[in-house]
Amino acid sequence: MEPNAIIDAARKQHRAALDESSGKALLASYGVAVPKTIVVRSSAEVDGALQGLTFPVVVKVVSSQILHKSDAGGVRVDVKTPDQVREAIRMMSVLPKIASARVEGWLIEEMAPAGQEIVIGGLRDPDFGPLVMVGLGGIFVEVLADVSFRICPITRLDAEEMIDDLKGAAILRGARGRKPVSRDAIIDVLLKIGGDDGLMMNHAEQIKEADINPLIVSDTGAIAVDARFILT
Amino acid sequence: MSSMNDEEVLKRFMPLFAPKAVAVIGASTKGTALPNVFIRRIREFGYEGAIYPIHPTASEIDGLPAYKSLADTPQPIDYAYIAIAAAQIPPLLSSAHGRLRFAQVISSGFGEVEEGRELQDELAEAARAGGARLIGPNCLGIYTPRGKVTFAEIGSRDVGTVGIVSQSGGLGTDIIRRGFARGLKFSGLVTVGNCADVTPSDLLEFYFADAQTRVIGTYIETAKDGRRLFNILRNSAGAKPVVVLKGGRTKQGQAAAASHTGSLAGDDRVWIALARQTGCVLVDTLDQFIDTLLIFQALKAQPKHPTQGVVLFGNGGGTSVLATDFYARLGLDVTPFEQGTIDELAALKLPPGTSITNPVDCPVGTLQQEEGRVAEKILDIIYGSGKPDALVMHLNLSAFVGRTKPEVLDNLVQAALRVQEHYPGQAHFVLVLRSDGDPPLEQRKREFRENAVALGVPVYDEMANAGYALAALQTYERFMNRRRLGMK
Repeated sequence: MEPNAIIDAARKQHRAALDESSGKALLASYGVAVPKTIVVRSSAEVDGALQGLTFPVVVKVVSSQILHKSDAGGVRVDVKTPDQVREAIRMMSVLPKIASARVEGWLIEEMAPAGQEIVIGGLRDPDFGPLVMVGLGGIFVEVLADVSFRICPITRLDAEEMIDDLKGAAILRGARGRKPVSRDAIIDVLLKIGGDDGLMMNHAEQIKEADINPLIVSDTGAIAVDARFILT
Repeated sequence: MSSMNDEEVLKRFMPLFAPKAVAVIGASTKGTALPNVFIRRIREFGYEGAIYPIHPTASEIDGLPAYKSLADTPQPIDYAYIAIAAAQIPPLLSSAHGRLRFAQVISSGFGEVEEGRELQDELAEAARAGGARLIGPNCLGIYTPRGKVTFAEIGSRDVGTVGIVSQSGGLGTDIIRRGFARGLKFSGLVTVGNCADVTPSDLLEFYFADAQTRVIGTYIETAKDGRRLFNILRNSAGAKPVVVLKGGRTKQGQAAAASHTGSLAGDDRVWIALARQTGCVLVDTLDQFIDTLLIFQALKAQPKHPTQGVVLFGNGGGTSVLATDFYARLGLDVTPFEQGTIDELAALKLPPGTSITNPVDCPVGTLQQEEGRVAEKILDIIYGSGKPDALVMHLNLSAFVGRTKPEVLDNLVQAALRVQEHYPGQAHFVLVLRSDGDPPLEQRKREFRENAVALGVPVYDEMANAGYALAALQTYERFMNRRRLGMK
């Protein structure tokens, strides 16, 4: 889908943010890899929909009223069979925070291979315009605030320096016996989000905040497993 | 306005830096108001152009014929200094009829207070209608040695290479006065206050285009045109070093900034990003600002070999050790020489108590040998064999008192400069003159500093100040190395 069409569709529905599958569609339109995903409205649709999807999968609730899916119990990982998919939907449906929300459907997507969790974000500064951010996932970003920002558009060299600025940069190079992850893959996504013809520059007037969290980076590539876009 | 080329920028802003006719609004016949002081100052500073006091009733002020409005003066006005009640200014400006280029409004009572916001919009609109660019309001003035105009009581008459734009007037005064004492020479300084029209970005653009300016410094609290600032700095690609003293980088500081200039400050992280992407150097204090401008004024950056290895040479063992630690934290290496260099220094057979590894710690007894000329031999080995990127010579003046002839200190610096000449472009030379606040010693230090600065040597009070300045130079050199030379 064309990026502006995705954003316009959300606006027509008076949404303040893109839902997860629209967010991923937007990323995909910029060439950022996202897991293969389908959305079903209910567990009754599961059988017909799963073709072409490789197990294991992740099942997530889709609701514009639930911003933090994990906190609401709305994410089940490592789901291995169609039966388990239906079971996961049934169990999540009765959780208080989900039962009380307007549920629009269920998102089923292939599980990304293991790798280092990275966060890539975007922000619209009132004075400087679009910014792009990178950080290491989990406690690095949440507790230690180990992130680095740049003003868009960034160059390849800017992207490299952003990564080098992180205190945890050594982890990406494979500290303590871990496998190093693909630096090029991170740079590539940073440029697609924050570069000259990137998402933040092209939609500077439309997107207030963006969060790719996590981007899972392996030694060969990167895949955006969750994405949030807050509209202006 | 953002796409002006250098020639257009110079043409537009040069009248501010070298005005042919100046109007003064707010001077009284009694000669005591701030604008009267301004008239006195620019006359003392040697201003040779026309001065037109504007006054509704008086025919003469401070011995000069006065005019009723900006439109009545014999020649068009390049620069107007305006300090009257805020509400009277918009009608004054709107009636300038295109005969005024720059209106600097000193008065406050505009956007820095809630009830003055509307009046500030009115002021900007009036300036536009009258055809003038507006500087301020809520500022102190300009200091431009080339135009011989100044608002400050004290300041060098020499035209220099450091161009400044400050959003705070008081800090602008500090920069002129402290810079004067430290040997900074300015190509201009403009206080811009609330920036209702002309912003720091406009003046940065001028300083980049201006051949007289080689180093740029700015005190910024808010950048409402941040995107333009980013583009100007980015497009300059480090052509001239830019030192940014940013106010309001913390949440508390932002609160203070809001009440000071009338709008919220940007996010600290944006400024760090700006520095990383454009090569400008961010500093936190006025001292660092002056120290950093001084090093850029005095030394030519060496992007081909960014400053890394530093040799410390002087008297004071503990001082050397502390500085070694401090420099390491700043990313500067004070590491021992290789054996060959140590052997060469050992062959000089210096007195006991002299350490020759790096830091090179020489008690006064060693430094005063041959009236200070032994230092030349030591320095020749340091440069020729030790090959540092920078040499910091530190002299604790207190230790010299009563023990040496005054010329020993001069000889030491002369020796360093002679050695420096033999190895052009190899190492930065920085001098630290340490003292203890004793008035006669301070006086001697001041004279000695003036001589050194005149020879192009940046002089610092303490090792830490020199360290910060060298680290700033390193930041700029590394940026230029990576961006310009394509090296990593």
